Amino acid sequence: MKILVSIKQVLDSETDLQVDELSGSVRAAGPAKYWMNHADEFAVEEAILIKESRPGTVVDALTVGPERAAQVLERSMGMGADHGLHIVVPEENYIGPMTIASWIAAWATEQEYDLILTGVMAEDDMRGQVGPMIAELMSLPYATSVIHEELRPEEGMVYVEREIEGGQRELLELQLPAVLTIQTGLNRPRYPTLSNLLRAKKEKARVIDSRTFSPVEDREKILRFDKPRKSRVGEVLEGSPQEKAAKLLEILKRKAFL
Amino acid sequence: MDESIVVIVEQSSGQIAPITYELFSAAEEISKYRPLKIKAVVLGAELQKPAQQIASFSGSSVVGVQNPHLANYNAEISKDVLAGLLPELNPIFILVGQTTRGLDLAPALAVRLQAGCITGVEAVFEEAGQVCFTRSLFNGKIVQDLAPAAAVTILTVQPGAFRAKETSSPTDGSTEIRTSTAVPVKTKTLGIRKARQEDAALTQAEVIIAAGRGIGKQENLALIERLASLFPRSAVAGSRPLCDQNWLEYKKQVGLTGATVSPKLYLACGISGAVQHTVGMQGAGFIVAISTDPNAAIFHIADVCVVEDLTTFIPSFIGEYEKA
Repeated sequence: MKILVSIKQVLDSETDLQVDELSGSVRAAGPAKYWMNHADEFAVEEAILIKESRPGTVVDALTVGPERAAQVLERSMGMGADHGLHIVVPEENYIGPMTIASWIAAWATEQEYDLILTGVMAEDDMRGQVGPMIAELMSLPYATSVIHEELRPEEGMVYVEREIEGGQRELLELQLPAVLTIQTGLNRPRYPTLSNLLRAKKEKARVIDSRTFSPVEDREKILRFDKPRKSRVGEVLEGSPQEKAAKLLEILKRKAFL
Repeated sequence: MDESIVVIVEQSSGQIAPITYELFSAAEEISKYRPLKIKAVVLGAELQKPAQQIASFSGSSVVGVQNPHLANYNAEISKDVLAGLLPELNPIFILVGQTTRGLDLAPALAVRLQAGCITGVEAVFEEAGQVCFTRSLFNGKIVQDLAPAAAVTILTVQPGAFRAKETSSPTDGSTEIRTSTAVPVKTKTLGIRKARQEDAALTQAEVIIAAGRGIGKQENLALIERLASLFPRSAVAGSRPLCDQNWLEYKKQVGLTGATVSPKLYLACGISGAVQHTVGMQGAGFIVAISTDPNAAIFHIADVCVVEDLTTFIPSFIGEYEKA
């Protein structure tokens, strides 16, 4: 088996974010904390689990991102991926999902992967588009929001359960090769091992210049980023923690919840 | 043929998904800025009834394409059918629900139609003579405005963003049912498995105390439990990340892929307020949010906002309660 896992480095959405007026991009107000998109960690783990159960499997981890994104490739290799592939792009550029999908599809078409995995959605831009776009560009079957998979390469297919509204599951059989976008919770992502991390540091990811791909025109234009314009309608409690606690208690009693 | 806005109806076994009605409201919003005819397309196995229902609700012309392999959603057949049909209707905008099916279909369909794709649309506005769209990023902490840059754009519309009309159109639309004989080759749909048992405690509770990633450690769930014990007819719930970490059972999950609840009081502890969570609880009567992050999106829908560390705030609250 040959598996490609497409991953992304994202800015921690819990940190204080601000819109940089000059570049029109989003950045951390304080020290930036970047990590691997959570759903992508589950995708890497799933690939490693397959590799462990099917000797001879090779796992390539790929990311499209600036220099700093090399860190998520290192982490994937630390978890057990065989190779890292880094399509390097400039830091501030907006890159549309169609462009990213086209680059990954161009790379993957030459590699003859049996399975392409990615996270269901990135936490930063929340688009959820690249996975199905890769599949369509390569004329492959796909499933999004996958919460369970069983590979049956001897039958040339993968059995998939995808999570839909209210916790229901859609059950599918996809012909291999296929693209799956992975929902969080289908496994328990492992921590990288020291020996794998040392190997990752030594071997390094292969760097691919994004300019080697034919240009793709973006199909949408970002006008601006902004803070949410919804006005806060609720009451913000002020004072010491103790005072706030007393205030909340009073409100809940007045509303007869307590 | 006139240029149009096409609404893709979401239905299963003849039951029309609520998002469909919201799509028509979004379409009308767009047509305020760009007067385009609103049409609808519905796919499925048996469509007489749902197509008629949509035609009388919207007053639009509805095209239904029936295929026995569309008794359940199938991406491959849906794409083939829509790629054949849509160019006939000459759409500028194609509206799809931001649901697990809509999100499965829209990006790939956009590639097929050489269209643009904007997911999670929450608002429509006009700028420089163009219809533009707003969507959320970073769990709702940032919004983004976009303008289409392709001749055709597929939009997935966030549930709850556009209010469905309560009354039907005064005039009936038309329906046309076609038949497709396409057979899936690479994508076989085997059916749907019902949800794991719904937690009756959750849907019947009058007070829900919900925990999110902000609780930090699994041990802090004990605090949530203690807080819940103060309220009669209460239950503990959580957001998806907690269930993913096995801190809570999945049947306790509130949100898009979990339960939809509407208790009298929803107390959100350490929940960021990502739309995947809020779609499951925004119907609550009264919402209290506790978070250390003053910019958390949950504060936009909360009636009472407490910017505090819940590990110290909840014990103070319980202390105050016991003192009283």
